[in-house]
Amino acid sequence: MSDVELYLSDADRNKKEASATAARSAQRLESKEISLLELIESLREYVNSDDAQRRARTLSYLAEVLGALRPGVLSGQQRHLLFDFIISRIANDSEGVGASAKALVALEALGKWDPEKPAAIITTLLHYTHPLRQFKSQHERYSVLILIDLLMAKYRTAVHGIHTAVPDFLPQFISYFDGEKDPRNLMVAFSILKVPMTEWEIGSSAQELFDAVFNYFPITFRPPADDPYGITAQQLKDRLRECISSTPDFAPYAFPALLDKLDSTSMNVKRDVLTTLVDCIANYGVRTVNLYAVTLWDALKFEVLNVQEEDLAEGALSVMAEIGKQVTQAPGPLASYLKPITKECNEHFEDAPTKQSQAAGRILRAVAAVSPKSVNFVLDAAIPTILALYQSADSIAKRRGLLEGLVQLLHADTEVFGEWYTTTSRPLLVNGYNAPNRGEAGSNALVKYCERIYQILGSGLQTSPTNEVSFRLTALDGLLQLSKVRQLLADGTISSIIKLFTDIAVHEESAGNDEMKERAINALLEVAHQKPQLVVNTAFPIFMAALPDTDADGSEQYGPVLEAFAKLGGDGQVFKTVVLRLKNKLNSAVQQQASPQYLGAILSAILYAFANSAQELEDRGDFVPYYQDVLRPLLEQMTSTGSAHSTSFDDERILDLIGRLCNIILRHQKTEDQAEIAVEMYGFLHRPSPQQAAPYNQGVPDRDKRLMIVSVHLVAALQRDVPLPTDPRSLLTALVDFSMIDSLSPGVRAATLRKLTLVLNKFIPTSELKPVVEPILFSPRELLATSNLSLLSIRTLFSIIRALVLRNSSLLSTVFPALLDTLADHTYGPVVARGFSTLLQPDDFVTKENHCNISSLHKQKAFNMLVPALTTSFRDATPDTKPSYLVALSGLLRWLPYPVIESEVRSLAPLLLQSLDLTLPEDPNLAADVKAATIATLIDVLGQNPRAIEDHAGSLIARLLGVTTAAPAKRPNAPGTTRGGAGDPKVRGLGLRCLALVPERLRTETVVPYRREVVKKLTGALDDRKRTVRAEAVRCRAKWMNVDEPDADEDE
Amino acid sequence: MEPDNKQNANPTIINPSDLPSRRRASAVKRHGDGAAGLFDGLVPPYAYFNDPFDRSSRESSLDEDDVVEEIDEQEIYDLISTISDPEHPLSLGSLAVVNLPDIHIKPPASPRSSISTVVVEITPTITHCSLATVIGLGVRVRLEQALPPRFRVDVRIKEGTHSTGDAVNKQLGDKERVAAALENGTLVGVLRKMLSTCG
Amino acid sequence: MPSTTEGPLPLTLRPLATFAPPSSTRTWFSAPHPSVPLLATASSDKTVRVYSLATFALHSTVSGGHKRSVRACAWKPASSGETVIATGSFDASAGVWRRWEDGAAARKVREAEVDLTASGGDEDEDDWRFAVLLDGHESEIKSVAWSASGNLLATCSRDKTVWVWEELEDDNFETVAVLQDHDADVKCVAWHPQEDLLASASYDETIRLYREEIDDWTCVAVLAGHAATVWSIDFEGVEPRVHGKVVKAENEAEGSREKTWAEEWERAGPRLVSSSDDLTVRVWKRRPKEGGSVQPRGASVPSIIKSTNIEEEWMEEAQLPQRHDRAIYAAAWSESTGRVVSAGSDGKIVVYEERWRATGEPTNGPNGDKVEDAFSRCSQASATVWVVVAEVECAHDVYEINHVCWSRRWDKKRRREDEEMVISTGDDGEVKAWVLDGST
Repeated sequence: MSDVELYLSDADRNKKEASATAARSAQRLESKEISLLELIESLREYVNSDDAQRRARTLSYLAEVLGALRPGVLSGQQRHLLFDFIISRIANDSEGVGASAKALVALEALGKWDPEKPAAIITTLLHYTHPLRQFKSQHERYSVLILIDLLMAKYRTAVHGIHTAVPDFLPQFISYFDGEKDPRNLMVAFSILKVPMTEWEIGSSAQELFDAVFNYFPITFRPPADDPYGITAQQLKDRLRECISSTPDFAPYAFPALLDKLDSTSMNVKRDVLTTLVDCIANYGVRTVNLYAVTLWDALKFEVLNVQEEDLAEGALSVMAEIGKQVTQAPGPLASYLKPITKECNEHFEDAPTKQSQAAGRILRAVAAVSPKSVNFVLDAAIPTILALYQSADSIAKRRGLLEGLVQLLHADTEVFGEWYTTTSRPLLVNGYNAPNRGEAGSNALVKYCERIYQILGSGLQTSPTNEVSFRLTALDGLLQLSKVRQLLADGTISSIIKLFTDIAVHEESAGNDEMKERAINALLEVAHQKPQLVVNTAFPIFMAALPDTDADGSEQYGPVLEAFAKLGGDGQVFKTVVLRLKNKLNSAVQQQASPQYLGAILSAILYAFANSAQELEDRGDFVPYYQDVLRPLLEQMTSTGSAHSTSFDDERILDLIGRLCNIILRHQKTEDQAEIAVEMYGFLHRPSPQQAAPYNQGVPDRDKRLMIVSVHLVAALQRDVPLPTDPRSLLTALVDFSMIDSLSPGVRAATLRKLTLVLNKFIPTSELKPVVEPILFSPRELLATSNLSLLSIRTLFSIIRALVLRNSSLLSTVFPALLDTLADHTYGPVVARGFSTLLQPDDFVTKENHCNISSLHKQKAFNMLVPALTTSFRDATPDTKPSYLVALSGLLRWLPYPVIESEVRSLAPLLLQSLDLTLPEDPNLAADVKAATIATLIDVLGQNPRAIEDHAGSLIARLLGVTTAAPAKRPNAPGTTRGGAGDPKVRGLGLRCLALVPERLRTETVVPYRREVVKKLTGALDDRKRTVRAEAVRCRAKWMNVDEPDADEDE
Repeated sequence: MEPDNKQNANPTIINPSDLPSRRRASAVKRHGDGAAGLFDGLVPPYAYFNDPFDRSSRESSLDEDDVVEEIDEQEIYDLISTISDPEHPLSLGSLAVVNLPDIHIKPPASPRSSISTVVVEITPTITHCSLATVIGLGVRVRLEQALPPRFRVDVRIKEGTHSTGDAVNKQLGDKERVAAALENGTLVGVLRKMLSTCG
Repeated sequence: MPSTTEGPLPLTLRPLATFAPPSSTRTWFSAPHPSVPLLATASSDKTVRVYSLATFALHSTVSGGHKRSVRACAWKPASSGETVIATGSFDASAGVWRRWEDGAAARKVREAEVDLTASGGDEDEDDWRFAVLLDGHESEIKSVAWSASGNLLATCSRDKTVWVWEELEDDNFETVAVLQDHDADVKCVAWHPQEDLLASASYDETIRLYREEIDDWTCVAVLAGHAATVWSIDFEGVEPRVHGKVVKAENEAEGSREKTWAEEWERAGPRLVSSSDDLTVRVWKRRPKEGGSVQPRGASVPSIIKSTNIEEEWMEEAQLPQRHDRAIYAAAWSESTGRVVSAGSDGKIVVYEERWRATGEPTNGPNGDKVEDAFSRCSQASATVWVVVAEVECAHDVYEINHVCWSRRWDKKRRREDEEMVISTGDDGEVKAWVLDGST
């Protein structure tokens, strides 16, 4: 049978087969096996069949054949023939119009058309298939739309030709697409219609054209889950917006229609309106926008004056700004737009402070910050009023309100005229666009007022009482803005502003929650960005003067001052000076035998400055000089013997700070620099020689032992390939012995143990781990043998294991089991249990920054190797040793992120709950820690995977209640709870936070039965002796009270 | 809502920085004892002298737990100042409907009793505010839910700040009416919304 | 502020028992059954908990009928064979419930017409059957009360009205009156122990009395005096008792002030006690009709003298010593001892007793605060004086007490057949029994 027969028979059963047939026919044509005429001939009987579907199918066949053909196979004349054939089909029989359209598209692909053909198609379609919606299948309509879209794209002039030739063509054309509903088709229809909108003379058809698209506004369609074409609502919205904003001719219809929709109660509609308005205004151009500017303003202002949703207010503001951008291009429109705005805003300022006066400020800023012209206009219109009102204001609150408005204007001004400090990397932006023409400072209207404003703000700040926080904050903010505006104030004035800020930061009595000081310092920082030198010259002397050389008088006022000064270091340009001044202060303090507290504070300040700028310094490779400038002198003073030596350097906290300073300065440096500096530092730290100093020599005087506290920081800072002063292996064993000396001070011991961890983690290559570690943990040393345990050895033990855990050493497979065995020991088991919390504990020594070996998987590993073992041994453990396992477990869980424990949660749940009952009479603090850790884990579980704990809901709730209602405040009639029994406030607080999660995370039907009991029991916690706990209790109880009972009020 | 159908479309708003807060007092203290709070982060708490093996070394939060922090006026204020006004998206604190000086705690009337009384006087934004009752109810409910039962809560309209103050007071004082109100779905909805802003 | 000058009080209230288990939410009101050892407690958990007065344990629960808090309940008097209770709820409806008295079930079933209305059918005979739902009030019902005869039921509500329902035959109730005299919430209703005289107390600070005048109920007296919401009212028993002893005119010596007092009482009939938000407990008495025509006991007014003078005059006789410093939610008059007990928001329970006034001893009331003038004004009037005989603070820990009443004591440990106890009902969901120790 013929191909077409075959195609038809397959068509509905087996689409692929059918297409294959069509393809075959195409080859036949190419290979001249059949001629085009024969092919057309073979169709005749079917195209004329009275079975409509058959006719349509026949055309799809043709379409597919043409689609499969290579260009050039058919002659122009043949294509012409086919074209007429298809067109006549469309004319005589609208059946299968989609297929016909496909065929035409395919045909077009085989060779370009002359102008008549497109015209013919359009006219035929409009004449015989209008309106398109008569075809029920959206696929059929789609094919037609694609065809038209093709013509619009490739034969625009031809189509436009019809428009100019035929008078009533356009209305016909527009209505052709009426009532399209399918999103995919709409996408095409929109882009088709966009052509006349943007390119044709639409004149009288403007409204129909507008309606044709605006009917779809706002787009509310939600794409079906299984939408094969994945058209999103956003795509539709965007394309629709393009259409609406495409031509100023729409303005008379668009603006009223949009403003009408702005009254909608749906926030989303409002959002659409606002974004669309922005586009329209941007595209319609100044002449059109000018006509509607005021109308728009009148409608938009409410969104800002009575904010419903913050983002709507923002939206409205950006529309206003967009109008501003347009009208600013012509003086007339600019004035007629800004006059009513400034007028109304000024009225609102009259009853400041109100929501409206706040809004007024925002509005003015938005419309001003678009160009020099605009900002100058607004300043001239608003500032005099504000200043006048300010003078006559009767309350300080009102003055604040007015200043807030003023500050907004200053912001606008800076946005237009720029700041002093605007590097090329930060091009001047106005409302996110590059400023059309950056204002030249000379033309800045603010110049006229800045003197007055400066006086008002300055005196406001100086004369107002310190408890008028919000007022002074605003004044301060204003001064800051003022000082920032490019080329506005003279350096002298800026200096006096700096002085004002500094005085607040340094001298002012703290009021309220210190917001003032806080802001003053940050303001100084910002000014420092603008005018570093001025800050150094003006502010620094004041700071220095406020810092005594010694605190012999016992005053501690230096605290806040140091804080403030250290913060200034945050600005790269003044950092160096900050550090040097502090260093000098430190020197004189040392000379004057100042107390360790004071030295400590200064050192902390220096450390803070470094920590704050570490990144910047590293990027600039700027650390190197600070060894010579800061560390070296410090180390000399520290290690100097004789009279010069300050006893403060015997204070372990001071030594620690010095160590940290070494660490931060060294840690970022390159290997070779480190190596060089290290050698010199060893000299300072290991007297007389490494081998004769600690840890090798246990007999050194305490003073030298204490240096361990500094040197551990040095070792921490070193890159792994920097050579240590002595052989790592021998050093390691020396450290092990040294760490177990009874007489060590806690500080020195801690340092020794950390050093031990560091050396083992950083400087022993993996290949040597086994030979180095085994002799220590197992025979001959046998630190891990239960019989050898001692309070001291256990510490050492854990610092070794810790090093291994972090680098994920294979030794752990033998070490962990041995470690777990020791938990069963009655004497030392409990001590070992505590140690577990150190294994994964974060720590600022053993870190990546300190170049340690830290496997990203070590937590996971440790968990997998330890926790399942712990849970099993817990089950078999004797009652008196069980607590040890719970303690050990919580010690691990405390540091584990939820994903790590996920796998085990279900098996852990019972243990977790038992941990909440744990009591350790001899060490309530530890018990508290365990509970805190457990609750933290439970909080994770509830947050991440509540199902895992759902079955235990009952006992969970009961236990949490037990933990949390422990400590009622003592009352006349209520017996005060016994000490310790109360539990730890931290635990009670956490417990309540966890309990609050329960109704939130577990299914309602699960929690409802407990509601009443919990709500009642929680009244106990409401009376907790600690304020913070009570606060949690209130939150928790509220959550539970809002759990709705099944039959909660169906009526009303 | 359009501005016009609000009873008071344009109330004066107190800036958050001027609202009374507990931190004010303490912040000053903090610097008094010279502790440079800013630098605390430099030496991590777990870093140096916190040795899990050495019980004596760690500061015991249990000792400090024996210090009882009594419920005071500021605490009451913090509980209710965050309630939001039923018609403005603003807090009762920032609208000056509740004010610290208008909150009083009366100790038990007799040594044998342990019942204290909290008296809160609220100041409606305008004298004819019909929402005064709802606001008062919100305050009373909030306190009854957040305070231990040993407190009796009396919420009143501040003298001379409302046209029908006495009537409102009588309603707010009527336990039975309050209880019934809390079983009224619509009203509970309003209250939940008002209280939803209480952290 | 309470006066705390007195020395030690003659009696002490000793906690006897807490009914178990307590409700997990606020309990409002408790009513002891007139003849069997049952106590019904209305709870905000929408149920009525019925406890045994003999064992203090939960006996049964009346539930499933109300959508909101049950505020009040009342046992129908004189209903043998089965117990009947009326409930009033915040859901604006009142309910009538029936339950076979224990053991009575069998007997009942044997009778010809088994009443299975409403609850329809063969449910467990120990269950409470929701017999009737009385609809009509527009808002929360606050109190319900059966008349002495048990054929009239009064309900009152926040809708300012008092309704009187008559039970024509079993479970068929007809509204016989809707009394709208109050200007605000009606908080409490109570019936005269013998007459069909109804009293109601209101948020409008008044107490009103009503009678039926040819099947038309009207307000016959307004008792004004309280300066705030009147929370509760309760009638005195059928015999007056002073210092615990019954006072009868015929037993008193001729011309003695006791005799005068007794005669006056017998002409006036039982008095009324009321408690209020104004922190006072007041006693009201009826001024006898001229010509000494005593209100005929029992039956309602015969039609011959159903004249215009159906109005009655009641006056405030005394204010009890003021011991409460917050709203007083309940005051109850003991039929067996004539004592009054009061309780309220301050968590106190106070017991008062009426004594013969020693000459010269100041009286209480009607202006408790200004004792001297009071004395001069009504020295003739009051032969008696009220004194506080017992008091306990924080009776329900720190919680408010919503109701107190007297009940006969039923448990094994009782010391006398007619020993009575105080039952208090609190916000903590607990119902407690108290006994008075120490002799008088």
